[in-house]
Amino acid sequence: MDRDDLDAALIAAHREENGRRIAELYLEAGELAEQAGDTEQACFYLVHAYVFALQEGMELASDLHARLKALGREI
Amino acid sequence: MRSVQQAKLDKVMRPVGGAQGLPNEYYVDRDLFGSEKSAVFFRNWAALGFAKDVAEPGDAQPVDFLGQPLLIVHGRDGKTRVFQNTCRHRGMILVEEKTRLRGAIRCPYHSWCYDHDGALKTTPHVGGPGNNVHDDVDRSTLGLVEIRSHIWRDIIFVNLSGDAPAFDDYAADIKARWAEFEQPLYHSGSDSSIRLELDSNWKLAVENYCESYHLPWVHPGLNSYSRLEDHYHIEEPGHYSGQGTLVYRPMINESGDRFSDFAGLGEKWDAGAEYIALFPNVLLGVHRDHAFAIILQPVTHEKTVELVEIYYASEEIISKKWADMRAANTALWKTVFEEDIFVVEGMQKGRHGAKFDGGRFSPVMDSPTHLFHHWVASQFVDADEH
Repeated sequence: MDRDDLDAALIAAHREENGRRIAELYLEAGELAEQAGDTEQACFYLVHAYVFALQEGMELASDLHARLKALGREI
Repeated sequence: MRSVQQAKLDKVMRPVGGAQGLPNEYYVDRDLFGSEKSAVFFRNWAALGFAKDVAEPGDAQPVDFLGQPLLIVHGRDGKTRVFQNTCRHRGMILVEEKTRLRGAIRCPYHSWCYDHDGALKTTPHVGGPGNNVHDDVDRSTLGLVEIRSHIWRDIIFVNLSGDAPAFDDYAADIKARWAEFEQPLYHSGSDSSIRLELDSNWKLAVENYCESYHLPWVHPGLNSYSRLEDHYHIEEPGHYSGQGTLVYRPMINESGDRFSDFAGLGEKWDAGAEYIALFPNVLLGVHRDHAFAIILQPVTHEKTVELVEIYYASEEIISKKWADMRAANTALWKTVFEEDIFVVEGMQKGRHGAKFDGGRFSPVMDSPTHLFHHWVASQFVDADEH
């Protein structure tokens, strides 16, 4: 999924209040930014992915917590 | 110098034969209703809701409790807790409607997230974009504010002030009196629920409930088998009052079936039933084969919602097989409770009569009602002194 498709999918997922999908899409956005070497942008998206993964009770939340903690962005 | 208000309350607190009832303003004055919230409700154990309404882990129910936004959460750890429904960040209401939480409680404003035990789980971007950490934001001090709570007979009680005696001490007398009924209660769902809206101050519903004096006049259908002299007073100063009957007859259907009894009850309950107002806002009834609990929710000084829930003694009775008989029992109680509406609403209207002096009590028939008035007056006096 390119960046535009991702943005459109995120807007749709928010509209549908589909928290699991939102978490997955933010994770994807974070990883795209990471691959582009933009750590700040990556952390922004990973934070969002983490919040929605927490809200949805997804196992993904603990992975994201570990990633953010390793980057000094979580405790 | 003693206040005029205190002098009026002194008259309420005389022995029943010479006492006056609570003055009009305790029923019709908005400002006094405001004082009553803290003096009567927040300093004691008051009923907030029913545990059956948050039966599953993750169930969360917001409740407006006398203007206080509270949130009942049945946590993933199986424990039911009550929190102030307010985010520790900017004071946003956290949960607006009853919901089933899948994971954390996420504030809809800036997405601070809380665990089911109230712990603050994360604070997104609090240290700037992409950074959930800042030295000045100590999560360990910013969990949801938990309200002291206790569940008894499926009722969630709360003590907002946090300094009432432990619930088991507070309710020790009624728990001892009804020790035989400390058994599992089974609720079948909406066919055992009644909701009534009263144009009345909540206290009038308590007063009407705890005496038998009105029964032959307001519930004439009871006269055929339950005469006034078959009832007795129940009085525990400072805690509860009510009335009992010696002639309860279980419902029997056309096939001769009847609800199963609670296990191991003593002979007293063969034909006995009791109805107790546990102050401030719980009305309870126990019979050999069913029980009910009523929560009075004061909405304003002149509006009250009455939530009635009927419970049975075994899982079998809440099965489909017994639906018709349960419906008949609910309908019976609904008739009785609806028959009471005109008197509690009528007393509310009557209390706008400026020359009404609180009224006098029958020293013989009204002592449970006076006991409640005395308790309310005591709460105001105590609150004033502390």
